[in-house]
Amino acid sequence: MAAPSRGRLNRSETLWGYLFVAAPFLGFMLFGAIPLMGSLILGFTEWDLASEPEFVGMQNWSQALSLHIAALPVEIDEATGEPMYRCGRERVPQSQVGDFTGRIDERTNAPYVCEARYARPGSVLPRGFDEWHQFNLFGQQYIVGAIDPIFWKAMFNTFYLLLAIPISLVIALGFAIAMNQNIVGARLFRTIYYTPVILPIAALALIWLWIFNPTYGLLNYFLGQFGIESSVNWLGNAETVKPALIIMLIWRGLGYQVLIYLAGLQGVPRQLYEAAQIDGANAWQRFRAVTWPSLTPTTFFLVITSMIGTFQIFQEPFIMTEGGPYFESTTMVMVIQQNAFRDVQMGYASAQAWILGFIIIIFTLINFYVSRRWVSYES
Amino acid sequence: MTDLATPPKTYTPTPVRSRFALGNRERNLITKVIAYLVLILGAIVMIVPFFWMVSTSLKDSTSIFILPPEWIPLQPTLKNYEEAWDVAMLPRGFVNSTFIAVTSTIGEVFASMLAGFAFARMRFPGRNALFGILLVTMMIPGVVMLVPSFILFTQLGWVNTWSPLIIPVLFGTPFAVFLSRQYFATLPADLEDAAKVDGANYFQTFLFVFLPLARPIMATLFVLGFIARWNDFIGPLIYLRSTELYPIPLLLARLNSLYEQNWTLLMAGATLALLPILFLFFLLQRYFVESVALTGIKG
Repeated sequence: MAAPSRGRLNRSETLWGYLFVAAPFLGFMLFGAIPLMGSLILGFTEWDLASEPEFVGMQNWSQALSLHIAALPVEIDEATGEPMYRCGRERVPQSQVGDFTGRIDERTNAPYVCEARYARPGSVLPRGFDEWHQFNLFGQQYIVGAIDPIFWKAMFNTFYLLLAIPISLVIALGFAIAMNQNIVGARLFRTIYYTPVILPIAALALIWLWIFNPTYGLLNYFLGQFGIESSVNWLGNAETVKPALIIMLIWRGLGYQVLIYLAGLQGVPRQLYEAAQIDGANAWQRFRAVTWPSLTPTTFFLVITSMIGTFQIFQEPFIMTEGGPYFESTTMVMVIQQNAFRDVQMGYASAQAWILGFIIIIFTLINFYVSRRWVSYES
Repeated sequence: MTDLATPPKTYTPTPVRSRFALGNRERNLITKVIAYLVLILGAIVMIVPFFWMVSTSLKDSTSIFILPPEWIPLQPTLKNYEEAWDVAMLPRGFVNSTFIAVTSTIGEVFASMLAGFAFARMRFPGRNALFGILLVTMMIPGVVMLVPSFILFTQLGWVNTWSPLIIPVLFGTPFAVFLSRQYFATLPADLEDAAKVDGANYFQTFLFVFLPLARPIMATLFVLGFIARWNDFIGPLIYLRSTELYPIPLLLARLNSLYEQNWTLLMAGATLALLPILFLFFLLQRYFVESVALTGIKG
């Protein structure tokens, strides 16, 4: 008997329901799905926005990803057939290397260091490939060439910056545990730690640019106070620019991680600690047996979300280093941004963006999969 | 956090345990002292960069090169602030940033809450499937959208306007829909019935019954959205050409490229840019913290 009215009601409820959820879905179609499809197609084209897009098959993908690894032979003198060495700045045949050992190089006032000279990268790499990296394995020199070495450099740099995550998680957990000790003023500490998280990165980047200043910066000054005389040009050196960025990333993101860990800690059942205490477990044992296992889901969540964020780092190096020196702090998003909006290579930039997108999606899927397993574990 | 306090008094009935509790009390004291030391040290590290920023901004351009640095400037000056205020075009920037962030976030929050309400409180075919699609879209990394969005907005003639920064957000964002759905689902079940008896339609029910009850989540969503929009950098960088349209973060980057190494000026600019957000943060702290707890659910 109630069926007709229920049916009418449902129809109206259905209509209203669709109307209410329409906006996000319309927005997603217009500004999400359609451009997304377009971008996937774009990845197989060459397009400078001025002319018509041209279909080029897999060219963009192979241009971005092609690698060539080759053994790099020692340079052989054409006249004598002898392997060549480099001692200081001199080019020396192997038979004369003995003459240099122990002698002082007048240029540097240090004893000569002799190393094998290797053939030019161009002699072993295929056409179109440039050197990305060299390494030595069991005494043999190898060279890794890429069609787009800058993209590989950027990929390497981006993964390097992921190092910030384990370091900052350890620090954040320490602070969260300290904050969880029934501390007076915990709210104040929480606020202080969290402040950088909500502030515009552009402003924070300027502050850190000044802190990293080689002569008058705060960092070198502090190191000096602890007896480490340092005039390191943090952002200007290939060796220090990524560690410097990592320091800043940790400082900026710490508050968020502390807060999430604190929430995790407050969810650890109190009885577990009491039981462990009665069993005579010391602080470290309680941490290992109770705290850490209870926090694994939290840690996992933080690892994955931090990874997704770090993979897309752009602003800090863009403002602080412009990717330098020698592309040592160029990130993947910077390369994509430059290819798309400076060099107007829309197809190539799309392919690169998808490569990064796939990397991120894989990590996100792992997150969803594992966190689901965790939830079912607990219930 | 007080509810987590150890209740030692009720917990020491036997001599064995009381010996335990006594040891604990001493150990707790040591733990607490260490905790305070760690936290104070950490707080110093967090604050010093800001202190250094303000200190530098109050100096004249020669006294910043004095070592050891003057933490509190001997002759403070506001000259840098006056200069930064003008050359960085900050007044303009505050208007721009506020307009972009407020309009887009109001639309985002309203549209998202409406959809969240429907997902949580109404029945219609395909509801769960649609919600599932929405969850999947949350996984799309923003970087993939950069190029295609730019092409779309170029074709729409939106380049060098605020439209690309505001209009897409007005439709609501998956994460905000998700958070509001979770909130509406926790409200009591019989709320609709009273509204129905009064003859209210679904929109009226949402507007007059549910929305007023959802103020906490509304505030949280607003704070989250506002901060995301205010701090956005790559969007404005790609779409905006005229400096008159620049929001604050872009103006700071511009200041840096125009006045490289002019630290007193740069720090004054940074200080001015941070002040309104800091003010907002201390004012609405509760919602900021709640919003973090909510993002923690996301995983």
